Amino acid sequence: MIRLPATIILVAVMLLGLVTGGTAHAVRTSHAIPPDEAENEDTGLHLLREAAVAGRAREYSGTQYVMVWGASGSTSAVLEVHNVPGKGMTVRTEPSGSVQSADPGTPAGGMSSPSETMLEVLARNYRVVAAGEGHACGRPARLVNVLRGDGTVAARYWIDKAAGPVLRRELMDARGRVVNVGAFVDLALDPVIKGVVPTVPPSATGGLDLVEMPRLLAAGWRIPRALPGRLELFAARSAPAGYLYLGYSDGLSVVSVFVQPGVLDEDHLQGWHAEWRSGHTIWIRGPVGQEMIWASGGHVYTVFADAPADMVDTAVAALPHEHVPDLWTRLGRGASRLLSWVNPFG
Amino acid sequence: MSHLGERVSALVDGELNHHERDRALSHLAFCADCRAEVDAVRALKSRLRSLDGPAMPTDLTMSLLRMAEPGGPLPPRERPFPASRTFGGAPIPSMYSVAPPDNRPRSRVQGPRRPRRAGYVAVGVASAAVAIGTLFVVGGADSNPRVVPPVDMFANQHRNTAPYGGSATPTFSPTP
Repeated sequence: MIRLPATIILVAVMLLGLVTGGTAHAVRTSHAIPPDEAENEDTGLHLLREAAVAGRAREYSGTQYVMVWGASGSTSAVLEVHNVPGKGMTVRTEPSGSVQSADPGTPAGGMSSPSETMLEVLARNYRVVAAGEGHACGRPARLVNVLRGDGTVAARYWIDKAAGPVLRRELMDARGRVVNVGAFVDLALDPVIKGVVPTVPPSATGGLDLVEMPRLLAAGWRIPRALPGRLELFAARSAPAGYLYLGYSDGLSVVSVFVQPGVLDEDHLQGWHAEWRSGHTIWIRGPVGQEMIWASGGHVYTVFADAPADMVDTAVAALPHEHVPDLWTRLGRGASRLLSWVNPFG
Repeated sequence: MSHLGERVSALVDGELNHHERDRALSHLAFCADCRAEVDAVRALKSRLRSLDGPAMPTDLTMSLLRMAEPGGPLPPRERPFPASRTFGGAPIPSMYSVAPPDNRPRSRVQGPRRPRRAGYVAVGVASAAVAIGTLFVVGGADSNPRVVPPVDMFANQHRNTAPYGGSATPTFSPTP
């Protein structure tokens, strides 16, 4: 009779301990966030998303200064930008004076309004974190840093605090040097109409453009799905003009590859200079290394990029490069061709 | 006695016997024509003896020297017809019995041997260079068409393509 209450009390104490311990553990899991999860959270992604929406849905006009640095120098341009919701963006380039319509998600539009799919790719390849507040173009802004896996900064955004577009965008190379800057130096932003919520245009959802991939692969094209630098294939199209277009992006930068069958007519390349790299010739235009042409294996490759120069070089090196045949290889090929010409059974 | 005729030459050469020579000399004592002819023949023979022997042609010398090269002299040319055909006791010259005229350039036959070998080497080197050059050119030629990338169009497409913008075909504005 005496032992039974003691046993019941012991069991009750154990149950109480389990309950209180479980409650305490539950409290810890609900309120104490592990440090690793906090560091991996893309705290700045929603800011980029809101800025991308604003870049399409709000009306604004301003002057943008764009500068790109490369291994051999830099280039710059002044853009007069005017965006009207529903009509699109027009960009007037100075000093050339050319005017063209541009999507704010394209390189011509400063890539200030990436699509939702591109933001997903960005978040997959980088960590997007809010980095406080600052000022740009004389306006209060929220800062967003895009970090690589090793913690170095790959890009930095200044986003208008008044629900506006991206005010300033910087890209950094692997060594931390700023290699691409697009910044408003003057911006007139129409006031937000109360009660009207900006809607995301359908095109901002985005997606892949790989519908032709099966047909291209069946036709014998060898298309790499990715290039070094986390560049992923997002578009593969064959044009009626007889060339293949491949688009690669990591969510920040973009590299376009154009492939034509044939051999390069180097005599008619005006404004391009040749560089000898790893046993083959590459033709480069401009001082920033964003435009390249080379020939390999019966095809001519043309690359245009909006990316850090080191990323472009690495991506280009991963594309086909057939070395120039040595003397004996060339003589042997000539002999075989001559024999094939005179061989009546060949 | 008739004139000496063909015996004039034999008389001058001393080929007549004693009796014939006496008869010839007695004739000459009364025949001025035959004396004149004997004098002419004698003068001609004297003139011929004063002349030097014919020099050996240089090309013939070189030909003979070539025949002495390693390998021995060339075998005698076999004639398709016998050379002993005669007509009335005299041999009939055939088409192979007369040497063809030597119309080779003098420089080829008179040049020393070292320049000739150098010429052979030069011709060989030139032939090899032509062959190697042909193989080099043929081996480098590509049957693919030569193209110049439309860089302005490519640049325009690059600048107006939104990454991950979907399958909507981008619209390009003309490049100024």
